[in-house]
Amino acid sequence: MLFFSFYKTLVGKEITVELKNDLSITGLLQSVDQFLNIKLKDIKVNEEEKYPYMISVQNCFIRGSVVRYVHLPAGDVDVETLQDHSRLEAREQKKVQQQAQQQAQQAQQK
Amino acid sequence: MLPLSLLRTGQNHQILVELKNGETYNGILVNCDNWMNINLKNVIRTSKDTDKFWKIQSCYIRGNTIKYISVPDEIIDLVVEEEHTFKSYQPTGRGDGSGRGRGRGGENSRGRGEYTGRGRGDYSNRGRGGGTGGDSSSSRGRGDGSTRGRGGEFRGRGGRGRGGVPS
Amino acid sequence: MSFGSSSLGDEVDKKLIVVLRDGKKFIGTMRTFDQFANIVLQDTIERVYVGDCYSDKSLGVFFIRGDNVVILGEIDPDKEVQEKRLQKVSWDEIQKLYELEKQKKEEEEQLKRKIMTDSGLTIDSILNIDEF
Repeated sequence: MLFFSFYKTLVGKEITVELKNDLSITGLLQSVDQFLNIKLKDIKVNEEEKYPYMISVQNCFIRGSVVRYVHLPAGDVDVETLQDHSRLEAREQKKVQQQAQQQAQQAQQK
Repeated sequence: MLPLSLLRTGQNHQILVELKNGETYNGILVNCDNWMNINLKNVIRTSKDTDKFWKIQSCYIRGNTIKYISVPDEIIDLVVEEEHTFKSYQPTGRGDGSGRGRGRGGENSRGRGEYTGRGRGDYSNRGRGGGTGGDSSSSRGRGDGSTRGRGGEFRGRGGRGRGGVPS
Repeated sequence: MSFGSSSLGDEVDKKLIVVLRDGKKFIGTMRTFDQFANIVLQDTIERVYVGDCYSDKSLGVFFIRGDNVVILGEIDPDKEVQEKRLQKVSWDEIQKLYELEKQKKEEEEQLKRKIMTDSGLTIDSILNIDEF
Protein backbone atom coordinates (compact mmCIF):
# COMPACT_ATOMS: atom_id res chain seq x y z
CA MET A 1 0.00 0.00 0.00
CA LEU A 2 3.02 2.25 0.43
CA PHE A 3 3.37 3.11 -3.22
CA PHE A 4 -0.32 3.68 -3.54
CA SER A 5 -0.06 6.32 -0.83
CA PHE A 6 3.09 7.64 -2.40
CA TYR A 7 1.47 8.08 -5.79
CA LYS A 8 -1.43 9.83 -4.16
CA THR A 9 0.94 12.54 -2.99
CA LEU A 10 1.90 13.12 -6.63
CA VAL A 11 -1.62 13.77 -7.91
CA GLY A 12 -1.67 16.90 -10.06
CA LYS A 13 2.04 16.68 -10.87
CA GLU A 14 3.46 16.01 -14.29
CA ILE A 15 4.83 12.51 -14.74
CA THR A 16 6.03 10.41 -17.65
CA VAL A 17 4.86 6.83 -17.85
CA GLU A 18 6.78 4.37 -20.00
CA LEU A 19 4.80 1.28 -20.92
CA LYS A 20 5.98 -2.22 -21.67
CA ASN A 21 5.14 -1.65 -25.34
CA ASP A 22 7.67 1.23 -25.36
CA LEU A 23 4.96 3.86 -25.59
CA SER A 24 5.88 6.74 -23.35
CA ILE A 25 3.31 9.29 -22.20
CA THR A 26 3.72 12.53 -20.30
CA GLY A 27 0.78 14.07 -18.50
CA LEU A 28 -0.70 15.32 -15.27
CA LEU A 29 -1.41 12.55 -12.78
CA GLN A 30 -5.13 12.65 -12.24
CA SER A 31 -5.71 9.62 -10.06
CA VAL A 32 -4.30 6.28 -9.02
CA ASP A 33 -5.80 3.20 -7.39
CA GLN A 34 -4.51 0.28 -5.37
CA PHE A 35 -3.40 -1.66 -8.46
CA LEU A 36 -1.39 1.39 -9.44
CA ASN A 37 -3.60 1.94 -12.44
CA ILE A 38 -2.94 5.49 -13.48
CA LYS A 39 -5.09 8.19 -15.02
CA LEU A 40 -3.37 10.98 -16.88
CA LYS A 41 -4.72 14.31 -18.05
CA ASP A 42 -3.58 16.48 -20.97
CA ILE A 43 -1.21 13.88 -22.29
CA LYS A 44 1.64 14.22 -24.74
CA VAL A 45 3.05 11.14 -26.40
CA ASN A 46 6.76 10.90 -27.09
CA GLU A 47 7.45 10.07 -30.73
CA GLU A 48 3.84 10.83 -31.52
CA GLU A 49 4.24 10.07 -35.22
CA LYS A 50 4.87 6.43 -34.34
CA TYR A 51 1.58 6.15 -32.47
CA PRO A 52 -1.10 7.78 -34.65
CA TYR A 53 -3.92 6.33 -32.55
CA MET A 54 -2.92 8.52 -29.63
CA ILE A 55 -3.51 11.74 -31.59
CA SER A 56 -7.15 12.02 -30.59
CA VAL A 57 -6.57 11.18 -26.94
CA GLN A 58 -6.28 13.82 -24.28
CA ASN A 59 -7.03 11.92 -21.09
CA CYS A 60 -6.25 8.27 -20.56
CA PHE A 61 -6.34 5.36 -18.17
CA ILE A 62 -3.28 3.13 -18.01
CA ARG A 63 -3.51 -0.33 -16.52
CA GLY A 64 -0.96 -0.69 -13.73
CA SER A 65 0.23 -4.05 -15.01
CA VAL A 66 1.58 -2.62 -18.28
CA VAL A 67 3.72 0.12 -16.77
CA ARG A 68 7.47 -0.31 -17.07
CA TYR A 69 8.73 2.93 -15.56
CA VAL A 70 7.30 6.10 -14.13
CA HIS A 71 9.52 9.16 -14.35
CA LEU A 72 8.82 11.39 -11.39
CA PRO A 73 9.50 15.06 -10.86
CA ALA A 74 12.54 14.96 -8.59
CA GLY A 75 11.52 18.05 -6.66
CA ASP A 76 8.20 16.57 -5.60
CA VAL A 77 9.53 13.35 -4.13
CA ASP A 78 10.04 13.53 -0.41
CA VAL A 79 12.70 10.86 -0.10
CA GLU A 80 12.96 11.03 3.66
CA THR A 81 9.29 10.38 4.25
CA LEU A 82 9.44 7.56 1.76
CA GLN A 83 12.33 5.98 3.64
CA ASP A 84 10.58 6.40 6.96
CA HIS A 85 7.50 4.72 5.67
CA SER A 86 9.49 1.88 4.15
CA ARG A 87 11.10 1.21 7.52
CA LEU A 88 7.73 1.40 9.22
CA GLU A 89 6.27 -1.09 6.80
CA ALA A 90 9.22 -3.45 7.16
CA ARG A 91 8.88 -3.30 10.93
CA GLU A 92 5.21 -4.08 10.78
CA GLN A 93 5.78 -6.99 8.48
CA LYS A 94 8.36 -8.37 10.87
CA LYS A 95 5.90 -8.04 13.73
CA VAL A 96 3.27 -9.98 11.84
CA GLN A 97 5.79 -12.69 11.01
CA GLN A 98 6.86 -13.00 14.61
CA GLN A 99 3.27 -13.26 15.76
CA ALA A 100 2.62 -15.99 13.25
CA GLN A 101 5.70 -17.87 14.44
CA GLN A 102 4.64 -17.57 18.06
CA GLN A 103 1.23 -18.85 17.25
CA ALA A 104 2.69 -21.78 15.38
CA GLN A 105 4.94 -22.61 18.33
CA GLN A 106 2.06 -22.42 20.77
CA ALA A 107 0.02 -24.69 18.59
CA GLN A 108 2.88 -27.21 18.51
CA GLN A 109 3.23 -27.20 22.28
CA LYS A 110 -0.41 -28.02 22.64
CA MET B 1 -24.41 -3.96 -14.45
CA LEU B 2 -21.11 -5.77 -14.46
CA PRO B 3 -19.42 -7.03 -17.61
CA LEU B 4 -19.83 -10.61 -16.47
CA SER B 5 -23.57 -10.25 -15.98
CA LEU B 6 -23.75 -9.12 -19.57
CA LEU B 7 -21.98 -12.29 -20.58
CA ARG B 8 -24.42 -14.31 -18.52
CA THR B 9 -27.27 -12.65 -20.35
CA GLY B 10 -25.64 -13.78 -23.56
CA GLN B 11 -26.36 -17.42 -22.79
CA ASN B 12 -27.91 -19.28 -25.74
CA HIS B 13 -26.68 -16.63 -28.13
CA GLN B 14 -24.04 -16.85 -30.80
CA ILE B 15 -20.76 -15.30 -29.65
CA LEU B 16 -17.23 -15.01 -30.94
CA VAL B 17 -14.35 -15.54 -28.55
CA GLU B 18 -10.79 -14.64 -29.38
CA LEU B 19 -8.13 -16.20 -27.20
CA LYS B 20 -4.88 -14.57 -26.20
CA ASN B 21 -3.10 -16.85 -28.68
CA GLY B 22 -5.15 -15.42 -31.55
CA GLU B 23 -7.42 -18.41 -32.19
CA THR B 24 -11.11 -17.62 -32.44
CA TYR B 25 -14.06 -19.73 -31.36
CA ASN B 26 -17.43 -18.97 -32.86
CA GLY B 27 -20.37 -20.74 -31.21
CA ILE B 28 -23.39 -20.67 -28.99
CA LEU B 29 -22.72 -19.74 -25.38
CA VAL B 30 -24.04 -22.50 -23.15
CA ASN B 31 -22.74 -21.39 -19.82
CA CYS B 32 -20.22 -19.15 -18.11
CA ASP B 33 -19.06 -18.56 -14.57
CA ASN B 34 -17.55 -15.80 -12.50
CA TRP B 35 -14.05 -16.63 -13.70
CA MET B 36 -15.20 -16.16 -17.28
CA ASN B 37 -14.75 -19.88 -17.97
CA ILE B 38 -17.21 -20.66 -20.70
CA ASN B 39 -18.95 -23.55 -22.41
CA LEU B 40 -19.73 -23.30 -26.11
CA LYS B 41 -21.61 -25.58 -28.46
CA ASN B 42 -21.69 -25.85 -32.28
CA VAL B 43 -18.29 -24.26 -32.46
CA ILE B 44 -16.11 -23.23 -35.35
CA ARG B 45 -12.51 -22.79 -34.34
CA THR B 46 -10.29 -20.63 -36.52
CA SER B 47 -6.52 -20.61 -36.39
CA LYS B 48 -4.52 -17.46 -35.66
CA ASP B 49 -3.85 -16.74 -39.33
CA THR B 50 -7.49 -17.48 -40.19
CA ASP B 51 -6.38 -20.14 -42.64
CA LYS B 52 -7.51 -23.28 -40.84
CA PHE B 53 -10.96 -24.16 -39.55
CA TRP B 54 -12.28 -26.85 -37.28
CA LYS B 55 -15.82 -27.82 -36.43
CA ILE B 56 -16.25 -28.74 -32.79
CA GLN B 57 -19.46 -29.92 -31.21
CA SER B 58 -18.82 -28.40 -27.81
CA CYS B 59 -15.90 -26.98 -25.91
CA TYR B 60 -14.87 -25.44 -22.64
CA ILE B 61 -12.62 -22.39 -22.53
CA ARG B 62 -10.73 -21.36 -19.46
CA GLY B 63 -11.48 -17.74 -18.69
CA ASN B 64 -7.94 -16.51 -18.33
CA THR B 65 -7.05 -17.47 -21.90
CA ILE B 66 -9.64 -15.12 -23.36
CA LYS B 67 -8.66 -11.89 -25.07
CA TYR B 68 -12.06 -10.58 -26.03
CA ILE B 69 -15.60 -11.66 -26.82
CA SER B 70 -17.94 -10.24 -29.38
CA VAL B 71 -21.62 -10.55 -28.46
CA PRO B 72 -24.77 -9.78 -30.46
CA ASP B 73 -26.00 -6.18 -30.19
CA GLU B 74 -29.36 -7.07 -28.67
CA ILE B 75 -27.71 -8.39 -25.51
CA ILE B 76 -27.24 -4.91 -24.09
CA ASP B 77 -30.98 -4.25 -24.42
CA LEU B 78 -31.71 -7.60 -22.80
CA VAL B 79 -29.55 -6.74 -19.82
CA VAL B 80 -31.34 -3.44 -19.37
CA GLU B 81 -34.70 -5.21 -19.52
CA GLU B 82 -33.61 -7.83 -17.01
CA GLU B 83 -32.45 -5.15 -14.67
CA HIS B 84 -35.82 -3.44 -14.79
CA THR B 85 -37.52 -6.71 -13.97
CA PHE B 86 -35.33 -7.23 -10.94
CA LYS B 87 -35.85 -3.73 -9.71
CA SER B 88 -39.61 -4.11 -9.71
CA TYR B 89 -39.19 -7.21 -7.58
CA GLN B 90 -37.28 -5.33 -4.99
CA PRO B 91 -39.64 -3.85 -2.46
CA THR B 92 -37.02 -2.14 -0.35
CA GLY B 93 -34.37 -1.67 -2.96
CA ARG B 94 -32.97 1.79 -3.23
CA GLY B 95 -33.22 1.81 -6.94
CA ASP B 96 -29.60 2.55 -7.50
CA GLY B 97 -28.18 -0.87 -6.94
CA SER B 98 -27.94 -3.70 -9.27
CA GLY B 99 -30.27 -5.98 -7.43
CA ARG B 100 -28.45 -8.83 -8.99
CA GLY B 101 -27.04 -10.66 -6.09
CA ARG B 102 -23.86 -8.79 -5.73
CA GLY B 103 -24.18 -7.96 -2.10
CA ARG B 104 -21.87 -9.46 0.39
CA GLY B 105 -22.45 -12.62 2.31
CA GLY B 106 -21.70 -11.25 5.73
CA GLU B 107 -19.51 -12.62 8.46
CA ASN B 108 -22.45 -14.49 9.88
CA SER B 109 -22.84 -16.74 6.97
CA ARG B 110 -19.21 -17.01 6.04
CA GLY B 111 -17.74 -20.43 6.36
CA ARG B 112 -20.92 -22.08 7.33
CA GLY B 113 -20.70 -23.97 4.15
CA GLU B 114 -24.24 -23.35 3.20
CA TYR B 115 -26.32 -20.38 2.55
CA THR B 116 -29.16 -20.11 4.97
CA GLY B 117 -30.63 -16.73 4.39
CA ARG B 118 -30.07 -15.51 7.89
CA GLY B 119 -28.08 -12.68 9.31
CA ARG B 120 -26.40 -10.22 7.06
CA GLY B 121 -25.89 -12.75 4.38
CA ASP B 122 -29.31 -12.40 2.98
CA TYR B 123 -28.86 -9.62 0.70
CA SER B 124 -27.54 -11.52 -2.03
CA ASN B 125 -29.46 -14.56 -2.65
CA ARG B 126 -29.39 -14.37 -6.37
CA GLY B 127 -25.90 -15.38 -7.23
CA ARG B 128 -24.98 -16.14 -10.72
CA GLY B 129 -26.57 -18.80 -12.75
CA GLY B 130 -29.54 -16.73 -13.51
CA GLY B 131 -32.68 -17.59 -11.61
CA THR B 132 -35.30 -15.27 -12.89
CA GLY B 133 -36.37 -12.74 -10.44
CA GLY B 134 -38.52 -14.78 -8.15
CA ASP B 135 -36.04 -15.11 -5.39
CA SER B 136 -34.81 -11.61 -5.47
CA SER B 137 -37.89 -10.48 -3.71
CA SER B 138 -36.19 -11.11 -0.42
CA SER B 139 -33.06 -9.32 -1.33
CA ARG B 140 -32.52 -6.04 0.34
CA GLY B 141 -30.68 -3.97 -2.19
CA ARG B 142 -27.00 -3.86 -2.07
CA GLY B 143 -24.45 -3.28 0.59
CA ASP B 144 -22.37 -0.21 0.84
CA GLY B 145 -19.85 0.61 -1.82
CA SER B 146 -16.94 -0.89 -0.02
CA THR B 147 -18.34 -4.36 -0.05
CA ARG B 148 -19.60 -4.52 -3.54
CA GLY B 149 -18.79 -7.23 -5.92
CA ARG B 150 -18.11 -10.02 -3.54
CA GLY B 151 -20.66 -12.35 -2.19
CA GLY B 152 -22.59 -13.25 -5.29
CA GLU B 153 -20.99 -16.58 -5.46
CA PHE B 154 -21.83 -17.60 -1.99
CA ARG B 155 -24.49 -20.03 -2.82
CA GLY B 156 -23.61 -23.63 -3.34
CA ARG B 157 -19.99 -22.85 -3.01
CA GLY B 158 -19.33 -23.90 0.51
CA GLY B 159 -18.78 -20.44 1.79
CA ARG B 160 -15.75 -19.53 -0.24
CA GLY B 161 -15.37 -15.88 -0.91
CA ARG B 162 -13.62 -14.60 -3.95
CA GLY B 163 -11.54 -11.59 -3.09
CA GLY B 164 -9.97 -11.46 -6.51
CA VAL B 165 -6.70 -9.66 -7.00
CA PRO B 166 -5.97 -8.89 -10.59
CA SER B 167 -2.79 -8.13 -12.40
CA MET C 1 -11.58 1.13 -1.97
CA SER C 2 -12.56 -2.37 -2.85
CA PHE C 3 -13.28 -1.14 -6.32
CA GLY C 4 -9.91 -1.11 -8.00
CA SER C 5 -10.50 0.73 -11.20
CA SER C 6 -12.92 3.01 -9.47
CA SER C 7 -11.57 5.84 -11.52
CA LEU C 8 -13.08 4.32 -14.67
CA GLY C 9 -16.48 5.47 -13.49
CA ASP C 10 -15.99 8.80 -15.19
CA GLU C 11 -15.45 7.13 -18.55
CA VAL C 12 -18.76 5.27 -18.64
CA ASP C 13 -20.83 6.19 -21.70
CA LYS C 14 -17.87 7.99 -23.25
CA LYS C 15 -16.21 7.19 -26.54
CA LEU C 16 -12.91 5.48 -25.88
CA ILE C 17 -10.05 3.94 -27.73
CA VAL C 18 -8.83 0.73 -26.14
CA VAL C 19 -5.37 -0.52 -26.95
CA LEU C 20 -4.71 -4.20 -26.27
CA ARG C 21 -1.46 -5.94 -25.52
CA ASP C 22 -1.38 -7.49 -28.97
CA GLY C 23 -1.49 -3.99 -30.47
CA LYS C 24 -5.11 -4.08 -31.64
CA LYS C 25 -7.15 -0.92 -31.21
CA PHE C 26 -10.87 -0.80 -30.55
CA ILE C 27 -13.03 2.29 -30.48
CA GLY C 28 -16.46 2.31 -28.89
CA THR C 29 -18.69 3.64 -26.16
CA MET C 30 -17.87 2.12 -22.80
CA ARG C 31 -20.99 0.82 -21.10
CA THR C 32 -19.64 -0.98 -18.08
CA PHE C 33 -16.48 -2.15 -16.35
CA ASP C 34 -15.37 -4.02 -13.24
CA GLN C 35 -12.46 -4.14 -10.83
CA PHE C 36 -10.28 -6.11 -13.27
CA ALA C 37 -10.80 -3.47 -15.95
CA ASN C 38 -12.92 -5.92 -17.94
CA ILE C 39 -14.95 -3.63 -20.14
CA VAL C 40 -17.95 -3.69 -22.42
CA LEU C 41 -17.96 -1.46 -25.50
CA GLN C 42 -20.96 -0.70 -27.65
CA ASP C 43 -20.88 0.19 -31.36
CA THR C 44 -17.30 -0.98 -31.43
CA ILE C 45 -15.01 -0.62 -34.40
CA GLU C 46 -11.61 -2.15 -34.81
CA ARG C 47 -9.21 0.34 -36.29
CA VAL C 48 -6.00 -0.74 -37.99
CA TYR C 49 -3.25 1.78 -38.68
CA VAL C 50 -0.48 1.24 -41.20
CA GLY C 51 1.74 4.18 -41.96
CA ASP C 52 -0.50 7.12 -42.86
CA CYS C 53 -3.54 4.96 -43.58
CA TYR C 54 -6.21 3.51 -41.40
CA SER C 55 -9.33 1.42 -41.77
CA ASP C 56 -12.30 0.47 -39.62
CA LYS C 57 -14.35 -2.67 -39.21
CA SER C 58 -17.51 -2.52 -37.15
CA LEU C 59 -18.00 -5.21 -34.56
CA GLY C 60 -21.02 -4.28 -32.41
CA VAL C 61 -20.99 -5.09 -28.71
CA PHE C 62 -17.62 -6.07 -27.44
CA PHE C 63 -16.45 -7.55 -24.17
CA ILE C 64 -12.74 -7.11 -23.45
CA ARG C 65 -10.95 -9.03 -20.76
CA GLY C 66 -9.02 -6.71 -18.46
CA ASP C 67 -5.68 -8.58 -18.67
CA ASN C 68 -5.28 -7.51 -22.26
CA VAL C 69 -5.88 -3.83 -21.78
CA VAL C 70 -2.94 -1.47 -22.09
CA ILE C 71 -4.61 1.91 -22.39
CA LEU C 72 -8.08 3.36 -22.37
CA GLY C 73 -7.98 6.74 -24.04
CA GLU C 74 -10.81 9.19 -23.97
CA ILE C 75 -11.42 10.39 -27.51
CA ASP C 76 -11.45 14.14 -27.61
CA PRO C 77 -13.85 15.31 -30.33
CA ASP C 78 -11.71 18.38 -31.05
CA LYS C 79 -8.56 16.37 -31.45
CA GLU C 80 -10.34 13.69 -33.44
CA VAL C 81 -10.56 16.08 -36.36
CA GLN C 82 -6.79 15.98 -36.65
CA GLU C 83 -7.04 12.33 -37.50
CA LYS C 84 -8.37 13.39 -40.88
CA ARG C 85 -4.74 13.94 -41.81
CA LEU C 86 -4.63 10.21 -42.12
CA GLN C 87 -6.07 8.56 -45.14
CA LYS C 88 -8.98 6.21 -44.74
CA VAL C 89 -8.79 3.12 -46.92
CA SER C 90 -10.84 -0.04 -47.29
CA TRP C 91 -10.44 -2.99 -44.98
CA ASP C 92 -9.00 -5.19 -47.72
CA GLU C 93 -6.54 -2.47 -48.60
CA ILE C 94 -5.34 -2.13 -45.04
CA GLN C 95 -4.89 -5.89 -44.74
CA LYS C 96 -2.63 -5.82 -47.78
CA LEU C 97 -0.66 -2.87 -46.43
CA TYR C 98 -0.37 -4.64 -43.12
CA GLU C 99 1.01 -7.79 -44.73
CA LEU C 100 3.55 -5.73 -46.67
CA GLU C 101 4.60 -3.95 -43.50
CA LYS C 102 4.93 -7.27 -41.73
CA GLN C 103 7.09 -8.68 -44.49
CA LYS C 104 9.30 -5.63 -44.42
CA LYS C 105 9.76 -5.97 -40.67
CA GLU C 106 10.54 -9.64 -41.04
CA GLU C 107 13.19 -8.95 -43.63
CA GLU C 108 14.76 -6.26 -41.47
CA GLU C 109 14.73 -8.63 -38.57
CA GLN C 110 16.40 -11.36 -40.57
CA LEU C 111 19.08 -8.97 -41.73
CA LYS C 112 19.67 -7.81 -38.18
CA ARG C 113 19.83 -11.37 -37.02
CA LYS C 114 22.33 -12.25 -39.70
CA ILE C 115 24.58 -9.35 -38.76
CA MET C 116 24.33 -10.27 -35.13
CA THR C 117 25.10 -13.95 -35.63
CA ASP C 118 27.95 -13.12 -38.01
CA SER C 119 29.52 -11.11 -35.24
CA GLY C 120 29.00 -13.96 -32.80
CA LEU C 121 25.86 -12.84 -30.97
CA THR C 122 22.53 -14.57 -30.64
CA ILE C 123 19.33 -12.76 -29.82
CA ASP C 124 15.82 -13.82 -29.11
CA SER C 125 13.33 -12.99 -31.78
CA ILE C 126 12.05 -9.46 -31.57
CA LEU C 127 9.50 -10.13 -34.28
CA ASN C 128 6.56 -10.17 -31.94
CA ILE C 129 7.66 -7.13 -30.06
CA ASP C 130 4.10 -5.80 -30.16
CA GLU C 131 3.01 -8.55 -27.85
CA PHE C 132 4.40 -8.54 -24.38
